[in-house]
Amino acid sequence: MKSEEHELNDIVLEVVGVSKSFPGVKALNNVSLQIQRGEIHALVGENGAGKSTLMKILSGAYKKDSGQIFIENEVVEIKTPKEAREKGIAIVYQELSQLNRLSVAENIFIGRYKKRFGLINWNLIYKEAEMLLRKLEINIDAYSPVYSLSIAQRQLIEIARAVSMDAKVVIMDEPTSSLTKQEVALLFKIIRELKRQGVSIIYISHKLDEVYELCDRVTVFRDGNLIKTSDIKSLSRQDLIQYMIGRKLQNQYPIRSSSIGDVRISVESISDGYFIDNVSFKVHKGEILGFAGLVGSGRTETMRLIFGADKKKNGKIYIDGKEIQVNCPRDAVENKIAYITEERKVDGLLLNESVRINTSLVSLWQFCKFGILKLKSEKEAVQKYIELLKIVTPSIERKVALLSGGNQQKTVLAKWLLSNAEIVIFDEPTRGIDVGAKYEIYSLIGELAKQGKSIIVVSSELEEVMGISDRIAVMREGKIAAFLTKESFSQATILTHAIGGF
Amino acid sequence: MGTKTLKYKTLIRKLWDSLGVWLIFIVLFILLSLLSDNFLTGSNLLNIVRQISVNGIIALGATLVVMSGEIDLSQGSLAALIGCFCAMLMVRGISPIVAILIALMVGFLIGIIMGVAVAFLKVPSFITTLGMMYSLSGAVLLLTNSQPISGLPESFLVLGRGYLGFIPVPVLITTVVLIVTWFMIKFLPFGRYTLAIGENENAARLSGINVAKTRVLIFAFAGLASALGGIVLASRLSSGQPSSGSDLSLQALAAVFIGNASGKKVTNTIAGALIMGLINNGLNLMEVNASWQKVALGLILIGAVGLDVVRNKNKS
Repeated sequence: MKSEEHELNDIVLEVVGVSKSFPGVKALNNVSLQIQRGEIHALVGENGAGKSTLMKILSGAYKKDSGQIFIENEVVEIKTPKEAREKGIAIVYQELSQLNRLSVAENIFIGRYKKRFGLINWNLIYKEAEMLLRKLEINIDAYSPVYSLSIAQRQLIEIARAVSMDAKVVIMDEPTSSLTKQEVALLFKIIRELKRQGVSIIYISHKLDEVYELCDRVTVFRDGNLIKTSDIKSLSRQDLIQYMIGRKLQNQYPIRSSSIGDVRISVESISDGYFIDNVSFKVHKGEILGFAGLVGSGRTETMRLIFGADKKKNGKIYIDGKEIQVNCPRDAVENKIAYITEERKVDGLLLNESVRINTSLVSLWQFCKFGILKLKSEKEAVQKYIELLKIVTPSIERKVALLSGGNQQKTVLAKWLLSNAEIVIFDEPTRGIDVGAKYEIYSLIGELAKQGKSIIVVSSELEEVMGISDRIAVMREGKIAAFLTKESFSQATILTHAIGGF
Repeated sequence: MGTKTLKYKTLIRKLWDSLGVWLIFIVLFILLSLLSDNFLTGSNLLNIVRQISVNGIIALGATLVVMSGEIDLSQGSLAALIGCFCAMLMVRGISPIVAILIALMVGFLIGIIMGVAVAFLKVPSFITTLGMMYSLSGAVLLLTNSQPISGLPESFLVLGRGYLGFIPVPVLITTVVLIVTWFMIKFLPFGRYTLAIGENENAARLSGINVAKTRVLIFAFAGLASALGGIVLASRLSSGQPSSGSDLSLQALAAVFIGNASGKKVTNTIAGALIMGLINNGLNLMEVNASWQKVALGLILIGAVGLDVVRNKNKS
C-alpha cells in the first residue's frame, strides 16, 4: 500500500476505497483520499454528495461498509467518537455542543480533567487552558462562562479543544455559516496558525469564496463518488462548479401544461430579525414556484414565517390583494394556507394515532354539527382521500407509525388536501421516499396547480425543483439571490446563485 | 417445557393485547374470589365501587391532563379546599344546590389559572401544580382554621351516602363523569386536540390547533373534576375535612397510569381505579396490615407500566 510518494508528501490521513450504503442509497462509493500534514483541504459538493457521510465515518459516528483508513501509515479502525479523538481526528461541528454554564477551560478539558489525589486539579486546568489560548493567539479569558461568548468565540474554543487533544486532523463542517465577516477573518487566522503548527484541516464548505481564499487543495464529491482532487490554484471556478453538477440525468417528471392566473399570494419584505432578510415574492393562481438553495439558506425559515410557525419581525403578506395577519399557524390555516413540513415525523404526524385521526386533524370543523363530531362523515371523507392518494393501508384505523415512508407522506398530504387549502407549501416533499411514490407526488402537485391552487415547493434536489417548477427563487444566506424563469433553468445557474460563485 | 412456556407467553400476550389493563382487574378479581369468602357478595362489590368513586371522578380529570402530556399534582388539595368551601357556604345558610354550583365554579376557575400559567407563561405543569398544591393546602387551613366543618344539611349528604335503588349515588356520579369524559374524547374536537397535543405538540400546532386554549380547557376540566370529587367526599364524610386531600392527587395519578398503561382510553382509567379498589378491599378482607396495601399498589403500578413497555419492545 505504501509508496514512495506517501513518504515524500507526508500523508497524515489516508482513506482507501471506503464505501457506505444506507437502505436504498449508496452514500459513499469506493472513495480514496489523502490528507497531507499541515494542509487545508476543502471538501465541496451538493447536499447529499457524500461529504458528511465521509466525515461521520472519520469521526466514528458511522461505521464504514468496506475500505481502510490509515493514520500516519497505520491502519486504524474507528468505531466510536472517542476512538477518533484518541487517534488524532477532531471535529468542530456546525451545531456546537458545549456546556454553556461551564467556563471556557472546563469546556476545553471536559471528560479529561487532570486529577491530583483523586480530585480535579483546577489550577492546572486553568493554567493549561490559558497557555493553549495564548499559543493559538485566541484572546478569550479561560474563566469566562461559555454562554457569555459569541458564536465565533465558541467555535474557537472548540478548535482549541481539538488542538489540546493533539489532533492531527481537524475537520470543520461549515464553520462560517453563522459568523460575521470580522469573525470569519479571525477564524481564518487561527486556522492558518494551526496549519503552521503542522495540523491538517479538512474544511467542508459551500462557500467557494472561502475555499479559494483559505484552502490548498480541494476535493469534489457528487452522488457518493469522489469526482476530483486538485490544487485549488489550478482549478477554475467554472470547472469546479461543473464537477459539482456533473452530467444531467434523465427526466422523470410528469408533463403538465400550466395556465397561470392572477397573483394569489404576495409576500412583501418579510424578515425575522435574525437571518431572513427582506424576502419578497409572489405566487400566481395555478403556478408552482420552486425554492432552491443550499441547506441552511433560509428557505424553511421563510416558509415558517409565512405560515406563522415562527414570529416575523417585519413584512406583510397579501392574499388576493388583501393584507392578512398571520401570527400563528391557526391564522394561516384560516387563510387557506397549507404547509407540508420537511420533517414529517417531527412536525407532521401523530405517529401513534390512526390514519383517520391524522387525516382529519386540520379539518375537524367540517365534520361538526352543533360542535359534535359526526364520525361517519369523517370516516367517509378520510376514505375518499385514501383512495384518491392511493395510500396503502389495511384500514383507516391503522397507526401511521406502521406505514411506509411514502404512505406516511401521503397521509400528511391527505390531511392538507382535506383542508381545501388554496396555497400549498411543500417543504422537501419527496425526502426519504422511493421513486414510484415520488412520481405520484409530483403528479399530485401538478394536479393541484391545474386546479388553480398556488404551490410553493422547497427542494434541495436541483433536478426536482427544475422538473416541477414554473419559476424558481434561489435563496442564499437568508435572502433571495435570484428569480429564474423556465427558459433560464440550469443546474449551473441555480448553483451559481446559491453559492454566490461569480 | 420450553414450548409450553412459550405457549403461555403468547396466550398472555394475546389476552393483554385484547383486554389490556382489564386483564389485571380480572385476574385480581378471580384471585380474591378464591381467597376470600366475603369478597364475592353483592354488598362487598357495591362497597368497592362506592369507595373508588371519589378517586374515579378525580382520576377522570387527571386522564385528560396526562393524555395531553402534562401532570396535575394540585387535584387533592383543590378537592379538599372545595369540599370545605362548599361546606362553609352551606353552614352559612346557602342552599346546597347554589353552594355546589359556586364551589364547582371556583374549582373551574382555579383550573383555568393553572392552565394559563402552563399554556401562556410556559411554567412547566409539574411546577405550576406543585406550587398550587402547596398554596391551596395552606389556603384550606386558613379558611377553616384547621377545623373540620360539620353540621351539613341532610339533603347534601345524599351525594356521598345516598342510594338510588340499590346503586350508591356517588357511583352514579362517577358514571356520569365517565360518560361525559368519554364523549369529549370521542366526539368533540377538543378531545382530538387533547390527544394530538399529547402525541406531538409541534404537529398539533402546525395543524392549526390552538394549543394554548386547549391546554387551559384541559386544566379547567381537571379543576372541575377535582372540585366535584371534593364535594362528593365532603358529603361522604358528612363534613368538610381540611386534611382530606393529602393523598388524593397521587391516588388519581396512580389510577391513570395503571389504567392507561395499555393504551390511552378513558375507560382504562376506571380500570385503574377499580384495580386499586380491589387491592384495598381484598387486603382488608384478608386482614392484612393496611400498610401492605400501599406496597402492593406501588408494585402493581410499576408492574403494569413495565409489562406494557416489554410488550411494545417485543412487538418492534
